[in-house]
Amino acid sequence: MDGEAQAGFREFVENRSSALLRTAVLLSGGDRHAGEDLLQNALIKAAGRWHRIDEPEAYVRQILYRQQISRWRLKWWRREVSVAEPPDTGAVYDDSAAELRLVMRGALARLTARQRTVLVLRYFEDLPEAEVAAILGCSVGTVRSTTHRSLARLRALAPELAALTAVERVPDFSPVEVRP
Amino acid sequence: MNVEELVRDALRETAEAQSPAGPGLADRVLAVRRRRRGRRIAAAAAATVAVVALAVAVPQLESAKDDVRPAGLLDGSGTSAHPDQSPPRELIAAGEVALAAYYTTELQERIGEHAVDLRTYWLLDPESGRYEKDTRWSFVAVSPGLRTAAVLERTLPAKRIGLLDLATGEVERWIPVRHGVGGLAYSYDGTKLLATTYDEHPDLREGTYNAKTGGIGWHEPVGRTARTGFTVLDPTQGTEDPWRGLPSDRNANFRSDLQFSRDGRLVYSKIVGSRDGMQKFYDLTGAAVAAPAEERHLRSDVGARLSPDGTLAALGLTKEVPDKSYSSIRDPRTGEEITRVRGAELIAWADDRRLIAWERSAGKEAYEPRLALVTLGSDTVQWLSGPRTQGDSVEWDWEPVFARR
Repeated sequence: MDGEAQAGFREFVENRSSALLRTAVLLSGGDRHAGEDLLQNALIKAAGRWHRIDEPEAYVRQILYRQQISRWRLKWWRREVSVAEPPDTGAVYDDSAAELRLVMRGALARLTARQRTVLVLRYFEDLPEAEVAAILGCSVGTVRSTTHRSLARLRALAPELAALTAVERVPDFSPVEVRP
Repeated sequence: MNVEELVRDALRETAEAQSPAGPGLADRVLAVRRRRRGRRIAAAAAATVAVVALAVAVPQLESAKDDVRPAGLLDGSGTSAHPDQSPPRELIAAGEVALAAYYTTELQERIGEHAVDLRTYWLLDPESGRYEKDTRWSFVAVSPGLRTAAVLERTLPAKRIGLLDLATGEVERWIPVRHGVGGLAYSYDGTKLLATTYDEHPDLREGTYNAKTGGIGWHEPVGRTARTGFTVLDPTQGTEDPWRGLPSDRNANFRSDLQFSRDGRLVYSKIVGSRDGMQKFYDLTGAAVAAPAEERHLRSDVGARLSPDGTLAALGLTKEVPDKSYSSIRDPRTGEEITRVRGAELIAWADDRRLIAWERSAGKEAYEPRLALVTLGSDTVQWLSGPRTQGDSVEWDWEPVFARR
């Protein structure tokens, strides 16, 4: 990487790293340190191919998504992100929106990386199913079913959300989708 | 509010709660990348290990008996340096090793969202002492003695292995193989050839189409390997041992070439792990085994590995000061550091006291490494090549292949 390329890389990181870090932290279940590691590794890979990348941000995001799923497949990587306090699923139900979001954040942290990645792409990045499928290298049907199961899993992890789903049909409570 | 809306809100709330990324991230990334560059040349560096072998033990093709190449080029031990050349045009050598070849890679788009990184080799012409482009091959492993190279044709995985006479440029023998081969390595003594088999092109790249921009980003497939196993061949007889399958390994890179251990009784490859340079060994039946005692402290991304007499181990970058890098030399049995030697990446041992290394150019902020001859106990380096700098051409990123001469 020559001086000009390094300058371009630095400019990109300076301008976009905070936004990318937000996504990385979400993919890591709210774990800031894990998110920073994820982003740093993605940027290292991007730096290695900097002169061949047309769209740096799209490229780095792609690495983030795939790397996170790949990490989850490694034996020594935590399959679930630990949380400081385990969700108290037997707690008295509090219907305030803030309380629900807190419960939801705890539940999101306990999804598998793949489930969480799909939800981040669908509901944070607001990408259509077809685009999520292209990014993750799977079919639209898989995106759809993973989304469905992820939401079901959230409901299972946080019964407090049941009130929100009283009028929804919950067809599938199968636990974690594990792909080889 | 339904669950989807709550998920959306919770994600946004978490995202907004994040403080900005700290300063200096780009510098940290570039610094780490400099240290990890060995990974990118792991294949070349590891090939270096495989081809560094004693010349006296080199099996030669029949044609080599009539070799009339000038003495001193292949048989010498002097230093041949061209610090003004990058990539090199004329012989680079020091001590017992010579730059036998180098290659560049270039992305070749194939169909839709798939492409391959194709290599182009420049091979040392032993008569002229110059490096000549040879576009026939996608993979080259040069045997100890610099007389023969094992080659694979452009389409990978390949169904036959060529034994190329480097003097004539002609393939002396084709060895058909039952399983497609994507990587080759000679044993340390040059008597065996290890072929790593794949079920897809090992340099496949996947593209991601960005609908908003219309651009495609290319990357190596992650989380899976194309490697299927390996086979050991006798290059002098053209015979092949039974193929050995290896289980799919999520911790192996997509291209995951195997190399022989020093004694040729085991094979190993780099694995992706919690730290750089990890390696995994197998016996010749394909069963996973522990690392040999003298190789357990080595790193898969440092090509030099054990010194010719086996008493010293070349390890990784351990210290950087302005304009200078230092790598660790350790006791192979204990892993304890014995000394440090100049060099960011130790590629090959020239003899028991000197190594060929990538070392950063002085006076440059950017990491622009040059091949250098470094000596234990000395802070002085002798430049062997010009700096490898980025330019418009793919040739800027040449990867060396060393072999014992």
